[in-house]
Amino acid sequence: MVISLLSLMSSCRTDYDIGEVAPESFEGEACDHSHTGQAGPEDEHSEHRHSEEHEQGSDTEGLSGSEMHFHEPGQRNHGTAWFFNQPWAASFVWGKMLRDSVVLVVLALTVYLGSGYRRRRR
Amino acid sequence: MRPVLTFAQMTVRSLLRRRTVWGISIVILLALTGIGQVPGYGVTTQGRFILDFGLFGLEIGALLLAIGLASNIYPRDRETRTITPLLAVPLSRGQYLMGRFTGAAMIQAVSMIVGCLGLMVVLIVKQHAVPADLFPATGLLVVEGWFLLAVVFFFSFWTSPPLNAPLTALLFIVSQLSVSGFVGLFPRAPGLMRTLRLLLPHMDVFHIKDPIAHGMEIPGVYFLLAIVYGLSYMAFMLALALAVFRRRDMK
Repeated sequence: MVISLLSLMSSCRTDYDIGEVAPESFEGEACDHSHTGQAGPEDEHSEHRHSEEHEQGSDTEGLSGSEMHFHEPGQRNHGTAWFFNQPWAASFVWGKMLRDSVVLVVLALTVYLGSGYRRRRR
Repeated sequence: MRPVLTFAQMTVRSLLRRRTVWGISIVILLALTGIGQVPGYGVTTQGRFILDFGLFGLEIGALLLAIGLASNIYPRDRETRTITPLLAVPLSRGQYLMGRFTGAAMIQAVSMIVGCLGLMVVLIVKQHAVPADLFPATGLLVVEGWFLLAVVFFFSFWTSPPLNAPLTALLFIVSQLSVSGFVGLFPRAPGLMRTLRLLLPHMDVFHIKDPIAHGMEIPGVYFLLAIVYGLSYMAFMLALALAVFRRRDMK
């Protein structure tokens, strides 16, 4: 019954997964790229700096490209997306947290009053 | 309110007489000591690992405490027939549930705070900085523990204690999954899985050990929102538990 009730509520029909509902501005900060060990266009690599070894292609045999570059610490990139896809960092889901809280309190009151009413009628 | 508080105090006293609470609390403190004993091998960020593992240990401790504290309360009251005179005159079913829950929640909160202090001692002894957000982080774990406590009470009204523990642990595990991860458990029915996921909390809301370990600041409003979120889920689970309890025949 509770599940059906939840399904009827349009605001609840869409649960949120931070990875799914993240706005472009949030995802856009990510430096999403895949290296193959070959030098790519300069603009693709503007957000991070490569080690000299990687640029020169020396001493890097046996290592894939993604292992041989550096990002600024504390910034979102392909390796730290999981870290920043947590609720504390994704302020755009805070409103949804509040929405869920209100829905849950309303549901709790409904269940409480409903079960009390049923008990009195028995 | 007064009967609930009096009954909560009685619950605290009866729970403290059991060995379960002390056993789990000692295990938590031993685990924290063990984490502090792991050699750092000169790694400068060892404090992060201690903090990360310590808060993880506290979270698992909250789960164990919730199961250990609450899974046996109602079945034991029923078995010893203590519940019959309690419900006959002084307490309504709602007051019984709230009294038992409040007593167990108080012990849970104190145990978590003691665990947090233990983690602080380990960090200080190992000469690492104690982050300012450690107490708020423990506060969120306390709220998570209260939610789990409400879940255990809910299950205890219609399952046996041996079934209660795995059901609560299962709910704890699946609540850690993201929506896509949960749908991935049964990808043939994404709609059903998404609807089911709606009933489960986003446990990652209570996890702030990663930013704390990395020295990142968390906005105060987030703590407030996360606490409201956890308390709302707790209220919902308690309402469900009461609805089940009200339908139980005590004869």
